[in-house]
Amino acid sequence: MSKRYVMVHDENRCIGCQACSVACRSENGTPEGVTRLQVRVEGPFGDAPHLHFKYNRVSCQQCENAPCVTVCPTGAAYVGEDGLVSIKEDKCVGCMYCVAACPYKVRFINPETKAADKCNFCKDTRLARGEQPACVTVCPTDALTFGDANDPSSEVAKLINTKATYQEKTHLGTKPRVYRIPTKRGGIQS
Amino acid sequence: MIELDRRTFIKGAGAGGASCALATLLPGSLAALEQKPLQGMGKEVASICEMCSTRCPISARVVDGKNVFIQGNSAAKSFGGKVCARGGAGHSLLYDPQRIVKPLRRVGERGEGKWEEISWQEAYKTIAHKLNDIKQQHGPEAVAFSSKSGSLSGHLFHLGKAFGSPNTFTHASTCPGGYVIAAKAMFGTKVKRDLSNSKYIINFGHNLYEGINMSETRGLMKAQMSKGAKLVVFEPRFSIVADKADEWFAIRPGTDVTVALALCHVLIYDNLYDQAFIEHHVEGFDAFAKEVKAYTPEWAEGISDVPAKDIRRIAHEFAAKAPHAVVDFGHRATFTPEEFEMRRALFAANVLIGNIERKGGLYLGKKAKTYNKFAGDKVAPGLGKPGVEGMPKPAAKRIDQVDEQYAMMWSSGGIYQTILDATLKAQPYQLRAWVMSRTNPMQTMTDRALVVETLKKLDFVVSCDVYISETAAYADIILPESTYLERDEEIADKSGKSPAYYVRQRVVETIGDTKPSWQIFKELGHEMGLGQYFPWENMESLQLLQLDRDMARFNEIKQKGYVSYGKPLMLREPAMVAAFVKQYPNAKPTDDDGTYASAMSFKTPSGKIELSSDKVEKMAAGRGVIKYREVKLKQDNELYFIQGKVAVHTNGATHNVPMLANLMSDNGVWIHPVTAGRLGINSGDKIRLTSSVGSEEGTALVTPGIRQDTVFAYMGFGSKNKELARATGKGVHCGNLLPNATAPVCGMNIHTTGITLAKI
Repeated sequence: MSKRYVMVHDENRCIGCQACSVACRSENGTPEGVTRLQVRVEGPFGDAPHLHFKYNRVSCQQCENAPCVTVCPTGAAYVGEDGLVSIKEDKCVGCMYCVAACPYKVRFINPETKAADKCNFCKDTRLARGEQPACVTVCPTDALTFGDANDPSSEVAKLINTKATYQEKTHLGTKPRVYRIPTKRGGIQS
Repeated sequence: MIELDRRTFIKGAGAGGASCALATLLPGSLAALEQKPLQGMGKEVASICEMCSTRCPISARVVDGKNVFIQGNSAAKSFGGKVCARGGAGHSLLYDPQRIVKPLRRVGERGEGKWEEISWQEAYKTIAHKLNDIKQQHGPEAVAFSSKSGSLSGHLFHLGKAFGSPNTFTHASTCPGGYVIAAKAMFGTKVKRDLSNSKYIINFGHNLYEGINMSETRGLMKAQMSKGAKLVVFEPRFSIVADKADEWFAIRPGTDVTVALALCHVLIYDNLYDQAFIEHHVEGFDAFAKEVKAYTPEWAEGISDVPAKDIRRIAHEFAAKAPHAVVDFGHRATFTPEEFEMRRALFAANVLIGNIERKGGLYLGKKAKTYNKFAGDKVAPGLGKPGVEGMPKPAAKRIDQVDEQYAMMWSSGGIYQTILDATLKAQPYQLRAWVMSRTNPMQTMTDRALVVETLKKLDFVVSCDVYISETAAYADIILPESTYLERDEEIADKSGKSPAYYVRQRVVETIGDTKPSWQIFKELGHEMGLGQYFPWENMESLQLLQLDRDMARFNEIKQKGYVSYGKPLMLREPAMVAAFVKQYPNAKPTDDDGTYASAMSFKTPSGKIELSSDKVEKMAAGRGVIKYREVKLKQDNELYFIQGKVAVHTNGATHNVPMLANLMSDNGVWIHPVTAGRLGINSGDKIRLTSSVGSEEGTALVTPGIRQDTVFAYMGFGSKNKELARATGKGVHCGNLLPNATAPVCGMNIHTTGITLAKI
C-alpha cells in the first residue's frame, strides 16, 4: 500500500514555545521574513478563571485535495509519489496563484529562490535521510507525531484511531493531513 | 499570547534589514568580516547549550556550511534529545553580523557608543596596567569580578582570587538565589524535584512551560499527560503553565507565602503529616507547628484572594497522594521581601508529607562520591577539581559582608547589587573597577538608573561578551568571547539520581578574532604578572586533570558528550534501593524496611532537616522559625508590576539574536479589561508605566489573563543602547521600573513593585 504521511499535533502537550519553528528554519534554511511553520498561541478564551489558550499549528496541511496544485498553471505545485504536496522550483513562475488559493495561508514566495515555498514534512532533508521532520525531532513536550497513517502499527495510526481529533476547514473538501488533538479545555474530551 | 503572524514576521524582517545596514558601521562586529562557510568540527558533535543558564546537553550538525541544526543529546534520557527555540537558534547568534569579534576600546564618553578596534595584546596591556594600578593605590578589593556561572565564572573568579580580591559575584541574587538559600538553611544543600514521578504538583508560578528547563519541563508534562498527575497553579497571570493546570488561582502578587503556610497549617492541624518522618529526620517541628497555628486558610484567603475552602481541599488532596506529591519550590525570584520565608514555607509543605528521597518528591543529587559509598564500589569516576597551590588569601572582607544575616549568600554567588552601594556610597568601602563576563546587570539588576550611575562613576570597567550588551556599552574595554559553539570547556557534573558528566565541545571553527573565556583570563593573568596561578596549558590538559588522566574515560565522555553511571537511587524508595542492592554486591546494607533512610544525612548543624533553625536565628534574630510578615509592595493607587520569562528569550541575553528577535522583539504589557476600561486603554495603545524610580513607554495588551490590580511584562526587553540594534527601544525595560531593594537573609534583589498606568 502507498504511504500516507500525516502529522498529529496534540494541543494538550503543545506549549507554544516555537522550538519547532526555529528547528524548521535551521534545517530548511528558510530566509528571514517568511516561515514554513509557526505555532500561534491564541486567546485566552472563556471567562476567568476558566480560561484557555489555543495552540494553533500554522503550516502546510498537506491536503489530499490540494487547491494549490489545482490552480498551478505550470505544474510546479504537484503531488509526488510519496503523496506529499511538493514544489518544483524550476517550474515555478512566481504567479502567486497558489499563495492566493491556499485556504490555510501557509504558502509564500521564497525571497531567495523566488519560487513558492512551504512545509513539505522535511522530505528533501530529514525524511530523505530516514529521520523525523525537524519540528518533530526537537519538540520539547512530544506534542508532534509523524508517520504513515496507512501502517496500522504506526504511532500516528494509533493516535488517530484512539483520540478525538479534528482538522482545519474540512468543509472545503481539502482533506488536510495535519490532525489536531484538541485541548481538553476546548470542550472536546478525548 | 506571543503574537506571531506572518505580518509581524515581515515587519520584523524589515526592521532587521535596516539594522543590519547600520551594524556594518560598527567596528569589531562580524559584519566587518568576509562571510566564509562554517567549518564543522565533525559530522555530529555532542556539546552543551548556552542560550540560557540551564545548560542542556545538545547535539549539533553543520548544514551546508551555513546553518547548524541543533537538537538535544539523546544520551541524556530525561532531556529526550530535545531542544527549545533558544537552543535551536544558537547558530543565529554564531553568525549574527552584530556579534563582536574584535577587542574594542571606548573612544567617546562612557555609554556614548564610540569604539575602536584594538589587538588582544593591547587590550590585555591596558587592563593589566589599570587593574595593577588600582591594586597598588587602593588594594585588590577595590576591583569586583562578576560573571554568568559555568566554566567562565570559574576562570574569571580564579583570576579575581589570584589578583587578591574577595569580590566575586554571579547573577544569583537577581535570579535563582532565593530557593538555594532557603534549601541551604533547611537541608544544608540544594535539593532537586522529581516532577516526572509526581502524582500531585502544586506550583507557585514556576512557569516551566515558558522558562524551559528541558528535563523539568518534560518531567512536568510526562507527569501530567502520562501519569495523570494533577497540577494546581497559583499565579497572578494566566501563563502557559496556568493554562495547562487542572486548577488556576490568580493569587495576589507576593502573597504566596500565606497560601504555603496555610497548606502547612492544614497538613499539621488536620493531622495529615508524616509523623514518623518528622520524628526521625526533622528538627524544629514543634516551634513551626506553634507558629502556623494562626495561619489558617481563612487567614490566607484574606490576604491572597485564594478561597479558604480550596486551600483546605488542596491540602487534603496533596496529602492523599503523599509521598508521591510535591510543592514545586520555584526558580526565578523575587516576588517579595519575604522571599526567604516564602521559599522555606514551600519546602516545609514537602517536608511535612515526608516526600524527601521518595519518587515524585524532593531528593538530593547523588554525585560520584556519595553514590560510590552506597554501592561499595567505584561505579562512577570522581571528577577532580584542579587547584593551584599558594593562592593568595584576600585581606579584605567582601563588600556584601556587612550584615551577618546574609552569610549563606556569600558563598552562593554573593549579593550582586551591593556593587552599587560600594561604588556610589563607598559602603563598606570604595569600589573602583568592575570586570565582568557575560553578565548584563543593566537588565537583570533593579533600578537601571543606579546601574548607569555606578558604571559612570567607576575608574575602570571591562566587559567580556559576545555582544555589546546594554551593560557592555558602558565598558572601557570589551573582550569578545567565542560563542559556546566555538568553545571547549571543562567536564561538568550533571548528577541527578545517579552520577553523570557532560562536556561542552567546539562544534565549528572559531569565527573572527574571538577566544574562549578560559584562554582570555589565563592570558590576561599572565599579562597582570599572575602567570604562576595559571599552570595549565590548554583546556584538554584541564579536562585530563579532572579525570585523573584516564584516557578511556576521557574519550568516552568526549565522544558521547554525556555519560551517566549506575541506576537511579532515591534513599527512601524501597523498589529503587532493592534494585540498587541487587546490582552492587558490595552495597551498603539496608535498614530493616529495605531503605537507606537511616543513612540520610543533611549538612545542617543538627544533621537533620531543620524546619526551624537556631543557626538562622543567630544570623537574623526572629527568623529562626518561618513566619509571616506584612509587606507593602505597592501604594494603594498603584498596580502591581510583575515580570516573567517567555520561551523564546533568556532574560538579559538573547534579545538581539536575529532568529529570536524576529520571533518576538516587543513585550506587550498585560492589562485586565476592567483596568484598561477604567483608564480608556485599548490593546495596541501606547501607554506609560511610572514607578517610584523610572518611567517606561510600552504597548498595551488587554487580556483577561491577569488580575485587575496587576500588570505583567516579559523580562529583558527595551534595551537602551544603540549597539543592540534589533532590541533597542522595543518594549518595556523592566529593570528601569524596579527600585533597588534587598530581601532579608537570602539577599535577593526584589522584582515586584507598584506602578501607575496612563494612555499616551
